[in-house]
Amino acid sequence: MLSLLGLSPALLAGATAEAQQKKISSKPAKASAAEPRIEGLNPKGTPPPIQLIPMAPRLGSLDGKTVYLVDTGFEGGGFLLNQIQLWFNRNMPSVTVVFKRKAGPYAEDDPALWKEIKEKGHAAIMAIGH
Amino acid sequence: MITKAFKDLAILNAAKRGMPHERICFTPHPVWGKTPEELRVYVDGPDPVSGKPLMKEVTDALTVPLSDDEKKSGTVNVSVGPPTFTDTADNLQEFYLNNGYTDFLPIILPTQEKVEAMLKGTSHKPDEVVGKMAAGAYPAWSYTVRQVAASAVMAGCRPEYFPIVLAIASSGVASLFSSTNSFAFAMIINGPIRDKLEFNYGIGALGPFAQANATIGRAWTLLSKNLGNGGIPGDTYLGSLGNNLNYNNVVIAENEEASPWPPFHVQRGFKKEENVVSLFRGLGVVPGQVARGSSANENVQFDYQLSDLFSTFTGFFGALIIADPLVAVRLKEQGYDTKEKLIAWLYKNTTQTVKDYKSRNYSYLFEYPQALQGREPFATWYKLPDDAVIPHFPRPESFNIVVTGGQTNAYPQAGNLSYGVSISIDKWM
Repeated sequence: MLSLLGLSPALLAGATAEAQQKKISSKPAKASAAEPRIEGLNPKGTPPPIQLIPMAPRLGSLDGKTVYLVDTGFEGGGFLLNQIQLWFNRNMPSVTVVFKRKAGPYAEDDPALWKEIKEKGHAAIMAIGH
Repeated sequence: MITKAFKDLAILNAAKRGMPHERICFTPHPVWGKTPEELRVYVDGPDPVSGKPLMKEVTDALTVPLSDDEKKSGTVNVSVGPPTFTDTADNLQEFYLNNGYTDFLPIILPTQEKVEAMLKGTSHKPDEVVGKMAAGAYPAWSYTVRQVAASAVMAGCRPEYFPIVLAIASSGVASLFSSTNSFAFAMIINGPIRDKLEFNYGIGALGPFAQANATIGRAWTLLSKNLGNGGIPGDTYLGSLGNNLNYNNVVIAENEEASPWPPFHVQRGFKKEENVVSLFRGLGVVPGQVARGSSANENVQFDYQLSDLFSTFTGFFGALIIADPLVAVRLKEQGYDTKEKLIAWLYKNTTQTVKDYKSRNYSYLFEYPQALQGREPFATWYKLPDDAVIPHFPRPESFNIVVTGGQTNAYPQAGNLSYGVSISIDKWM
């Protein structure tokens, strides 16, 4: 699935897509061998390099920890998180669950909330609705 | 957590942002409109992607130690392949189509000769960086004059059209947007270049009746796919229904000569003799014939007709009046001697109740969060009683007017489209 245009497992490993594209390009011609070959430009733009981000260390256990549930504002995400909060209450009562709706429309950043989670939380679950 | 429908998007987006091993859990789709009981079944049930219990996945994602891959840092360069492809013409057509470089219509192959000819349409150097374009929330891609030229050739543009395509590319506005809403895009062309390039702004102004209108609009879509990497279903494009206007967008060359009002670009601070392209984004265009009081008799009231049309729109996007000159002249005769007067009337008289406003999806998604932050007018609107009457659009600037068409009948069309930006074409000549 990552082989969709622009990114593939090979690309993530630092390889290029040239081999893949040459393979497609070099399919047997339908026309006669005498048909002239021409050169066409690659029309794609230039993607930025990907800076790999190491993931945050995991907790080992959630016992006694504070988990933030963050609703981004997409439809239904908050209602789903309400049910997840109830699941924690039923199944992991030692976990303190804090529900937050991210400020502003879904595409806007909310640095104040991220700061709060870093200071007061141990983990966060972000749910995107639809 | 995200619903199963966005599996590819979530994984690819995380990877492109440097987190190819992001721990993502999936619920069935959709969660929108489900009862608490139905959502509890989701939570107690399996992740539909992995098949494992969803909450086990969630708690494991937070607690299972990281793998070596998940700890990796560093830079990964992404290649889009070699600079050129060599094959027969037929095979190259198939290759460009199969690799997602086209709109699935035949293209003009961007050979070295064709691209070099296109580059003669501008004084700018082939390797000059034109701008950056992002497909929705993804990191933006950059591109040069030469890379823009390839898409312009593919769309069928003549070299003299190239400054307009470069102006559009320089905006960084992609005409294919990742939203599930299937957005439409439009451009208004103003200035003497309309005649120089033989744009059609007469009979059939919005139809397929001139090469400039057809190919420059198409070029916007192709450069959005190729330069911004947009338009990949499931990855950079999520529009549920799609939008037929995306083939070549809504290209409007203004009929400045037949308009009773100043042209659009002059309203935006440009001189009449300047060549300018202005870009819009929204949901689409509807015909004016469906509105009340639209019979073409002497009592026809286009102001009420337009208001009637706009009352069906979402106020989140703007209202673009696309008026045939006959409509514009009639409106002026009715007393609207300036566009501003008509806009003021439309803003005041296109209304809704607070109850209806709150019931709209866009209000909940985009404006309710702003109301919570105290942003006006939404903060005030959300405090009013349900039966209070409020404007349908948040501000007069939501309205725009352009005049085009061949004066064979007095019909307007109306776009649920927001103005974005105006760009000088002359700077790209």
